[in-house]
Amino acid sequence: MIENTPPLLPGENGKDAASHDHSPSDRVVVNEVPIAGIGETIDAILREPGRVHAQIGQAGGLRLLCSLVMLIALGLAAYGFVVGTFTGGIQLWAAPLKIGGGMLISGLICLPSLYIFTCLAGGRASFRQVLGLVAGLIAIMTLLLIGFAPVAWVFSQSTESVATMGVLHLLFWGVAMVFAVRFFRSGFGSVVAAKETGLLRLWLTVFVVVVLQMSTALRPIIGQSETLLPGEKKFFAEHWLDSLQISQQGNRFDRSRGD
Amino acid sequence: METVREHWEGIRILLRGDHVRIAEWCGHFETSRFVAWSLVAMIGSGLFGAAMGWWRAPEQAVYTGLKFPLVILLTMLGNGLLNGMLAPLLGVNIGFRQSFLAVMMSFTIAATILGALSPLLACLIWNTPPLEQGDQSRSSHAVILLALVTFVAFAGVVANVRLLLLLRFLSGSEQAARRVLFAWLGGNLLLGSQISWILRPFIGSPGLPVQFLRDEAMKGSFYEAVFHSVRTLLTE
Repeated sequence: MIENTPPLLPGENGKDAASHDHSPSDRVVVNEVPIAGIGETIDAILREPGRVHAQIGQAGGLRLLCSLVMLIALGLAAYGFVVGTFTGGIQLWAAPLKIGGGMLISGLICLPSLYIFTCLAGGRASFRQVLGLVAGLIAIMTLLLIGFAPVAWVFSQSTESVATMGVLHLLFWGVAMVFAVRFFRSGFGSVVAAKETGLLRLWLTVFVVVVLQMSTALRPIIGQSETLLPGEKKFFAEHWLDSLQISQQGNRFDRSRGD
Repeated sequence: METVREHWEGIRILLRGDHVRIAEWCGHFETSRFVAWSLVAMIGSGLFGAAMGWWRAPEQAVYTGLKFPLVILLTMLGNGLLNGMLAPLLGVNIGFRQSFLAVMMSFTIAATILGALSPLLACLIWNTPPLEQGDQSRSSHAVILLALVTFVAFAGVVANVRLLLLLRFLSGSEQAARRVLFAWLGGNLLLGSQISWILRPFIGSPGLPVQFLRDEAMKGSFYEAVFHSVRTLLTE
């Protein structure tokens, strides 16, 4: 006789997790036990996102918010360190600082617009609840990036190509963003109590663009440079194309036979 | 002796795909079972690796016999954290330990099958002209390569079907189980191919010396090599 019955899916009461439908009228019962500490916060974000959304606006919400920010800061510092091992030297501390700082600044830059957009969409969420949504969005990205860190480390130790590492980190970031957006959209319905509109999609697009631009504004995060921050201003797409061209020109790839 | 027999029965249960029992095992970590699964996975994949390397030279058989299990072990460890996060996010609400043991279970099944097929592979290689005579016996070499791919593919498919059944049982959702399986496979492919690239050679090229690792092991990546090969094919 098995002791473990098949578990319910996170916040879905057994419904398929992909079919998220979080209209205010279709809310599910969530665990109301307060989330305490970073460990429990991680567990709740992964398994019970509804619990995180629900508790952000409650009395202990500030503590949860602090846990989320702490998780983001520590997690991105750890991931940044792995990114920095590709180049070594100054990047071992510069990359964690730039990645962690850049992500937090991006969140703060986009926070006021989200608050206004939620009001425009008919939401009644407090500023703290909106802040919690953004913190949750970045926290889930952070968690997945930590999950990818061992893979990133293996590649960073074996390739010398900045382009390869750049593409790889973008891929990881993209995957993390997909899950973060799912978390965010489910929270938007339940926390903000507003219908998802074009404004939300617009805000998500703006957030993605801001984060991508931040990676260019704070360059180099991967690779070396004479200065800690760039002297020249560039749009991220332009910077990536330039980097790919430089990488192709200077490509000294050893075409040794793979066996 | 009794314990060995008990654990071997456990492996038989894995092979049969008794997902109720396996789910129970994944939920409760037991050191002796973990050691047993690890040993079987290492021995099975090691034997298959040795047979594979024997084609090039006996020394290569020893090297590949050690490296092939390493690929499995490092891929499993490297992706353990990510797999544990992806499962609940994609709808299978299991913990890190459960997801790790589930992946380990599938690797153990694959390695057991490969270990069982290794005498067949060794026999095939024994009856084939040495790799150095590649130009004289291309058809034989093609047969061996085909056999290698078939054996690995068969073991991989069986192991993943078992894993899918387990995930379906744990989640109660076919869709969620598929999503998690494909996400795990994607992660394993990404990391596993790079680890295999670093630990090359496995078969060994006739024109290159027998080595545990190539001199330029930590240079480049699997994906850069594929990219450059494709570009060479398109431009030449």
